Amino acid sequence: MMRETRGRRLPMGLSALVALGLAIVPLPKTLDAFRPDFLVLVVFYWSIESPRAGGLTLAFMAGLALDVIKGVVLGQHALALTLMAAWATHLRLRLRVFSVLHQSLTIFALLTGYQFILFWVDGATGNPVTTFSRWLAPVIGALIWPLLAGTLSRLHER
Amino acid sequence: MVAFRNSDAAGRTTGLLIRCVLFSLLALGLMIVDKRYDQLGKIRRFLSVVAYPAQVAVASPFEGWAWLQESVTTRDALRADKARLEQELRVAQFRLQRYEALEAETQRLRALRENTAGVGAKFIIGEVMDVDLDAFRERLLLDKGARDGVFVGQAVLDSGGVFGQVARVGELTSEVILVSDAAHAIPVQINRNGLRTIAVGTGDTGHLRLPYLSTSADIVKGDLLVTSGLGGGFPAGYPVGTVAEVRRDASQSLAEIDVRPAAALDRSRELLLVWLKPAASTPLAAANPAPVPPPGAAKK
Repeated sequence: MMRETRGRRLPMGLSALVALGLAIVPLPKTLDAFRPDFLVLVVFYWSIESPRAGGLTLAFMAGLALDVIKGVVLGQHALALTLMAAWATHLRLRLRVFSVLHQSLTIFALLTGYQFILFWVDGATGNPVTTFSRWLAPVIGALIWPLLAGTLSRLHER
Repeated sequence: MVAFRNSDAAGRTTGLLIRCVLFSLLALGLMIVDKRYDQLGKIRRFLSVVAYPAQVAVASPFEGWAWLQESVTTRDALRADKARLEQELRVAQFRLQRYEALEAETQRLRALRENTAGVGAKFIIGEVMDVDLDAFRERLLLDKGARDGVFVGQAVLDSGGVFGQVARVGELTSEVILVSDAAHAIPVQINRNGLRTIAVGTGDTGHLRLPYLSTSADIVKGDLLVTSGLGGGFPAGYPVGTVAEVRRDASQSLAEIDVRPAAALDRSRELLLVWLKPAASTPLAAANPAPVPPPGAAKK
């Protein structure tokens, strides 16, 4: 059990780094709003897949990294990611037996919750972003979830 | 949020709830400290250094591609470029002659009025890093930071006009908030008649608004807006944009005015970071015997 937990650390860290890179790869302005939150999806994946390997710590750290990179108030993404990763961990046994459609819908709910916390903190700290396009991210995220989860599980189960 | 512990049939995720609460409290604490006190500046600067390799790693393939494209440009293209640049240089030099004369004249007039320290002469050039910060905010990352003396609130210009200001400083990088960011406002003046107002970003690159002018204000399409220097953040007299459209609705008390920014907000790669603090002793200020007033004195 212990070895399994340890073995997960490397793919976790690597996939999180790649996702972080994808989060800041420059895209044309029109495509930018359609960029899925890769890092968030990766954190959810590991929260569901192996929570004992430190899913919540990963969530908190990834959130902090997003805060620094996006230049928003420190702790915003960390809070949102921690809460939603905990929720994902809570649901994980059910999620594993869900059909793909069900999984995507659950991920959609999680991503919406994530965006909502970000939205709320944005408002509370006095720089609200009210563009409608921010609510697009959960839809995109839910759509690519099957692809991402499939790729990740294929990669680390080898 | 209940029964986290019972949810794991296989064994222990003991304390998921506890850890969740702990991390959340930590994040909340960070937010409060970051918002209320400025104590986290150092930590943030350190963290931005840690993030730097990732940002460079992401940016470098694009820079490499640009370099490759440049190095395989044909001879003909290069020659055409050279001809064009020579012509541009001639025009620029021609203009520069006039500029020097004008500057001398300005200096004389200033001395006459005992008004000091005009536009800061010290500046460094920062290069935009190929990194997307946030899809919903108009921000950029520059490759100059606290190490180069960049400070928060510093004016950023490009060859066309006012670009934005420094919002956050890291050790090696700094974040620029563009004039078109929805949270950005800049004091401006209409060049034609001196009317002062404030230009506010819209969150859309390519558009600013003037929300505080009444329908009867003297402003027409094509008017040039320059910085007024009020507030001291920006040097006075730099172009901010031109009025693209004025909509006067009889039932409203305020006009709706659309402004096209003068700076190439979506294209410029080299930006000027300007010092207009008296400490950066400009030749102009040195030539002037009067004591240095606060930057607000740069206004008309």
